[in-house]
Amino acid sequence: MSYKKIVELIPVEKREALSNKLLNYLLKTKKEKNMPTSMAKCFLSQWQTGGFDDEVGLAVLLEAAATVEPEKTIEFVGQELQLADVAKALEEAA
Amino acid sequence: MVKFGIEFVPKEAYWKTVYYAVQSEKRGFDNLWITDHYNNRNVYTTLATTAIYTKKIVFGPGVTNPFLVNPLITTQSLASLDEMAPGRVVLGMGAGDKTTLASTGIEAKKQLSAVVDAIAIFRAMLEGKSVTYEGKVFQVKGTRFNFMPKGQIPVYIGAQGPKMLATAGKIGNGVLINASHPKDIDYAVKQIKSGVDEVGKKMSDVDVTAYTSFSAHKKPDKAMQAASPVVAFIVAGSPNVILERHEIDLAKADKIRGALAKGDFGGAFGSVSPKMMEAFCIAGTPDMCNEKISRLLKAGITQFVVGSPVGPNVRTSIDLISEQVIPHFKE
Repeated sequence: MSYKKIVELIPVEKREALSNKLLNYLLKTKKEKNMPTSMAKCFLSQWQTGGFDDEVGLAVLLEAAATVEPEKTIEFVGQELQLADVAKALEEAA
Repeated sequence: MVKFGIEFVPKEAYWKTVYYAVQSEKRGFDNLWITDHYNNRNVYTTLATTAIYTKKIVFGPGVTNPFLVNPLITTQSLASLDEMAPGRVVLGMGAGDKTTLASTGIEAKKQLSAVVDAIAIFRAMLEGKSVTYEGKVFQVKGTRFNFMPKGQIPVYIGAQGPKMLATAGKIGNGVLINASHPKDIDYAVKQIKSGVDEVGKKMSDVDVTAYTSFSAHKKPDKAMQAASPVVAFIVAGSPNVILERHEIDLAKADKIRGALAKGDFGGAFGSVSPKMMEAFCIAGTPDMCNEKISRLLKAGITQFVVGSPVGPNVRTSIDLISEQVIPHFKE
């Protein structure tokens, strides 16, 4: 499943909390080497042009976070947001 | 109207620093300063990437020094950046930190002359002509770029001592003062004015910039906690004359120096006193910070730089400053 499709599974009211948490994971990560060059450019382009609030932006952010900090991302989605189906989709996509 | 700048230390992956740079532009900062230390990511790589992802924020090294980076290379770098982001580039030039330079095997002699020479070469090379210059520290003989620079680039001089401050007033377009307290700004402005008067300039010709250690958070204790490590390093690196200006116990400062030298960071940070915090940082809630910024404005600054650590969470602190600090002075 694509990250765009995964985002569609996330209720709108939970997206802001998710976006905030994922940005913290990325900006505080010590696993910087996990970020592929192309993904870093995509992340910055999205931040420059649109941000991470809409579905396209959140998909970029979710993919980056799931790549750099997969355990934290999946745990937050599954346990904090109580979105088991999304967590499962992320595990399969990773 | 006062300008707001922000400083980042490019110690992490480039995409994090550039994320914060883009955020700063979006949130209303006017200037971006990237520090230049050999042990972090390269300042010009970071600035070039920033140029690509931003549209209007003014940026530059804050600050580089002529000992580690030859003035010709600094000029080449800034002229190249000016092609990428025309009119948005500034140079921050200082004498460098003697201790750091010593670790690289470079002896920083005649610091004032070195900065004066570097700026003279910088400005001459930006004219695009062949340059011959005989300075006390740096000389060039018939040097010329194989491209035509777009024009002059404003020069900010990082200054703390009286002679460098006066020189900055004489030859700088701006001065970067590493200080967070009105006492230090008062002192600096007097020295800058003496230089300005000497050459018949006006104070309004110089962007007097307070390069502060800053930390904002809704909870003051969290803001203070984030700032105390930075303050410990400032105390350790400050000459006694500055510590005495703020009535700081020299023995306590020595204790911090000793702890840092031993790598006892907990001991060093734990020894930072409220008086040290008051003297060397602006930390607290937005209202607390606004009150302190107002005092610096009264002392004569025209640009306020939010320096490290910015806050306990850089991203959310930038948003907080954008919502509750910048509008307080700009609206």
